[in-house]
Amino acid sequence: MAQKDKQNQDKGHSSHEMYAAREKIHPREVKGIFQNLRILSVIALLGIYYGLPWLQWGERQAVLFDLPARQFHVFGLTFWPQDFVFLALLLIIAALSLFFFTALAGRLWCGYACPQTVWTELFMWIERWTEGPRQKRIKLDRSPWSREKILRRGSKHLLWILLGLWTGLTFVGYFTPISELTTRAAAFDLGPWETFWSLFYGFATWGNAGFLREQVCIYMCPYARFQSAMFDRNTLIISYDEERGEPRGGRPRGIDPKEKGMGDCIDCNLCVQACPTGIDIRQGLQYECIACAACIDACNQVMDKMEYPRGLIRYTTENALEGNPSRVLRPRVLIYGLLLLILIAGAITGISLRSEVNMEVLADRNVMYREVDFHTVENVYSLRILNKSMEARSFRLEVSGLDDVEVLTRPEVIQLGPGGTDNINARVRVPRDQVSGPGNPIEFTLVAEDDPSVQSRSRARFHGPSPE
Amino acid sequence: MATNEPKKDPRLLRLLGSTLWPSFLVAGMASGVFFASIDPEALRLETLPGVEISRMAGYTIGFFMFWLVGLASSLLTVLLLGSVGSRGR
Repeated sequence: MAQKDKQNQDKGHSSHEMYAAREKIHPREVKGIFQNLRILSVIALLGIYYGLPWLQWGERQAVLFDLPARQFHVFGLTFWPQDFVFLALLLIIAALSLFFFTALAGRLWCGYACPQTVWTELFMWIERWTEGPRQKRIKLDRSPWSREKILRRGSKHLLWILLGLWTGLTFVGYFTPISELTTRAAAFDLGPWETFWSLFYGFATWGNAGFLREQVCIYMCPYARFQSAMFDRNTLIISYDEERGEPRGGRPRGIDPKEKGMGDCIDCNLCVQACPTGIDIRQGLQYECIACAACIDACNQVMDKMEYPRGLIRYTTENALEGNPSRVLRPRVLIYGLLLLILIAGAITGISLRSEVNMEVLADRNVMYREVDFHTVENVYSLRILNKSMEARSFRLEVSGLDDVEVLTRPEVIQLGPGGTDNINARVRVPRDQVSGPGNPIEFTLVAEDDPSVQSRSRARFHGPSPE
Repeated sequence: MATNEPKKDPRLLRLLGSTLWPSFLVAGMASGVFFASIDPEALRLETLPGVEISRMAGYTIGFFMFWLVGLASSLLTVLLLGSVGSRGR
């Protein structure tokens, strides 16, 4: 029923082209400074992705997110679930950087750094290598299945699948020591979760970079939908200079276009052919544009050939296009930049001042207080202690906040191995005449015996009998 | 693959794309936050101490539960958006 309703409805407005069957886009390969930059960025980023898990730090993998042990190792640092605030901070910093760079220079992220772009680029290199340049690929698409087509297509898919599998395995290698993982993978001896996640990630890479490509950016990416909110008239965008280019049209070489009343655009369509999302930049800024700058490089090649000045399509700002001065430093950029600086400084200080011991205090909920004898009131707390350092340590508990307060733990000295945790009962005793009513603030301090600077503080409430 | 084929059923793809995908993103974030503060091992001891579930299995089950919840919400959204469209226009 509901389905039928939906079908009828969809016939009603056919303007939705979402997920419509599309013409496969075969972007034309171009050469130029921005494409070189992109190649560099692909090599650097994928180099990091595939290489990082292989680095060693002492006895262990340098970057290892050890989920079973609930520890994240990043070079010399080890993070615990208690350090979650740093992960949150990192994500906020990442989001703010995205805002900052978007306000400054548009969709730099999309064009140069987004995994979707980077992996798509790698998959396209393979496609180009096995199936040839654009014209050949289009011809191959149309040609009937022949020996050559099977060979070319087959080798492309084989390479894609191998690359996808390796990518998935590398992904799992961030969570399981990778040298051991690859050895076991070679022997087909992976555990169920490792198998599942490496296939899952490999399949996603293969599908997104091999087949979905620009559709991910157009239909699936949330950033593409809201990035324009961070644009203003001073943001660097890739734009066609309409003033200079129009009226466009073909012409023989060597004539002066001005005499004929023509602009500089020779309407060669190379900018359209080079575009990986299949748009025409001459129609203005479009949200499909991932700012890869392929059209700039393509157009500059043509301008060189025609002996026109470069930059008919270029990085520019709306203000500059209209002949107004552009400002780089403006409130939006300054505010994003300042916030970013504060957060980064905060994260660095926080990480360097991180305590090597963590303590959580829970009051005993069954009994508010107990009268030990006529003179003394006792509260019981349950402490969860975690030794975050990589060496065995002993700790002693102190308490302050009330006069003549004392604390008893058993054992008195708490010993914890590297990364060890323990639950300890602490009994806090206060003379009856020093405490009245519920909710008196006290503070626990856990101090390492070998190094007093290693400590953790935690506040709690001490409950006493209400005065008569 | 789905490249040069004639128009098959874009509605199904569109439905999947606008439900599976956002719920996947949200499930990833939600499981990150959830498991940072809650150890699946502690959860198991509290609820099903008799059943052997490894931490990795715990994480995976949690992730798929979040995904299912998100998927349910996305599906409802699609449903509601659809019905408003047919009456309002």
